[in-house]
Amino acid sequence: MIASGQRTGSKTPGSGWVWRTMNSLAGAAVFVAPLLALVAIWAIVVPLFEVNPRIFPSVASVADAAADSIRDGSLIRHIGASLLRVGLGTLIGVVTAVPLGIAMGVSPAVSSFLTPLFRFFSVLAGIAWIPIATLWFGYGFGAIVFVIFNAVFFVVAYNTLLGVSTIPMTIRNAAASLGARRWALLTEVLLPGALPNIVTGVRTGLGFAWRGLIAAEMIATNVGLGYMLFVARDFYRTEVIVLGMIVIGLLWLLIDRLLLVPLERATIERWGLVRRT
Amino acid sequence: MKTLSLRNLQKTYFDPYAGSQVTAVHDVSLDVEQGEFVSVVGPSGCGKTTILNMVAGFIPYSGGEILLDGAAVKGPGPDRGVVFQSFALFPWKTVLENVGFGPKMRGVPKADRDRIAREYLELAGLSHAADRYPNELSGGMQQRVGVVRALANNPAVLLMDEPFASVDAQTRMTLQEELTRIWQERKPTVIFITHDVAEAVFLANRVVVLSKGRVLDQIKVDLPRPRVWDHLMQDETFKRLSAQVLQMVRSA
Repeated sequence: MIASGQRTGSKTPGSGWVWRTMNSLAGAAVFVAPLLALVAIWAIVVPLFEVNPRIFPSVASVADAAADSIRDGSLIRHIGASLLRVGLGTLIGVVTAVPLGIAMGVSPAVSSFLTPLFRFFSVLAGIAWIPIATLWFGYGFGAIVFVIFNAVFFVVAYNTLLGVSTIPMTIRNAAASLGARRWALLTEVLLPGALPNIVTGVRTGLGFAWRGLIAAEMIATNVGLGYMLFVARDFYRTEVIVLGMIVIGLLWLLIDRLLLVPLERATIERWGLVRRT
Repeated sequence: MKTLSLRNLQKTYFDPYAGSQVTAVHDVSLDVEQGEFVSVVGPSGCGKTTILNMVAGFIPYSGGEILLDGAAVKGPGPDRGVVFQSFALFPWKTVLENVGFGPKMRGVPKADRDRIAREYLELAGLSHAADRYPNELSGGMQQRVGVVRALANNPAVLLMDEPFASVDAQTRMTLQEELTRIWQERKPTVIFITHDVAEAVFLANRVVVLSKGRVLDQIKVDLPRPRVWDHLMQDETFKRLSAQVLQMVRSA
């Protein structure tokens, strides 16, 4: 992070962080405002029409449910279980998919042969694998991590493959004519060159994985956010269901905003490689 | 002393659109002396870029041979530095890291290669841009980086493939003047591919005119150095030589 003030063209580098903090606070406000508006509407509509709590809970009862589940530690336990599964499945998925994607991307013949397969499995990845995963791994941790892995693996491998094959030939030639051999070509050119696509792949794959996780937890376990939702339904506890839905949504937004978007910014946008849609 | 020798070089390839074998380079023989600046000029399709790609080792040749200091060229290597029309800088590396890439590949420790890179950046007047990324620079600055990145690796021969074709006219003239200055300071052996006749004459000790995959003719350029556009534009010898080369290219 040397000379970042110089790079951004700021004339007073010392005050840069103040400006950045203000800016990100403003950004957060813009992001949170619509969500707060939704809560406000909810707080007005439910008492106004005297909605049956078995159909939809009031804001207060959800807040109570949140307080209760935080106090008895159950919410943290569910969140922890879900995050652990997503984290582990994603880690295994990325670690295996990236080298494979690069190896395939290097050879045009292999890549064109495998591309249709990867597209097929990218679409299939996720909840469609739950039934067979439970047969292979039994109900529980293994089956769910497999579903997550599956959702991440194919999307990341496909995107890595795509990323490698879109690196201009002249850049590879430049590296070779500067003395780069196989390994250096891989670590200095192919990996960073494919990174924009890899990050996109991880972002898409994690999105699939998160949805798949909730679905899998409803079927194949006895702890986790999906399980929390599913069990609450049996007791007509709509306030727990809605709490679970809110937590699931918020957690994803946090993962995306605090982890994936900054990762994209730190690398790709600075390099001018981003192709935003 | 001869550095680079092309002997009866030939390139044929299969053209999938024409559905037949096409000969891009028929029979090219060329010797380049150490420290010589040779411009290769010709109309598009004359095979000039194909020749450069063969010398760089990016594509195989079909016949003849390429000798660098007596040894046959096979595949790309750090003894032949290349400057690309599209710059081909590494977008994920800073300017300093780009220029230090060749030394890094040779195993030069970080402190030493940073020093080498800074020295070459100074040569190109780019010291202030060391920590920037390529996409933050103008086209002209990017190509300055491209030139010193190749030079920093100390290649036996510097291959330049229409390097200034994608920058604006004013910047191009500045880059040409800077290149002649750098050449005078360091005396690298250069093969410079271009379709711009004035550029070819301005830069070179010798201009090779190519036509339909063959060497049509060669002209020695004995203009004094340093070469500056303000002087040369009015210079009778420069005008005569340019006209002569232009006539050859147009008849080619």
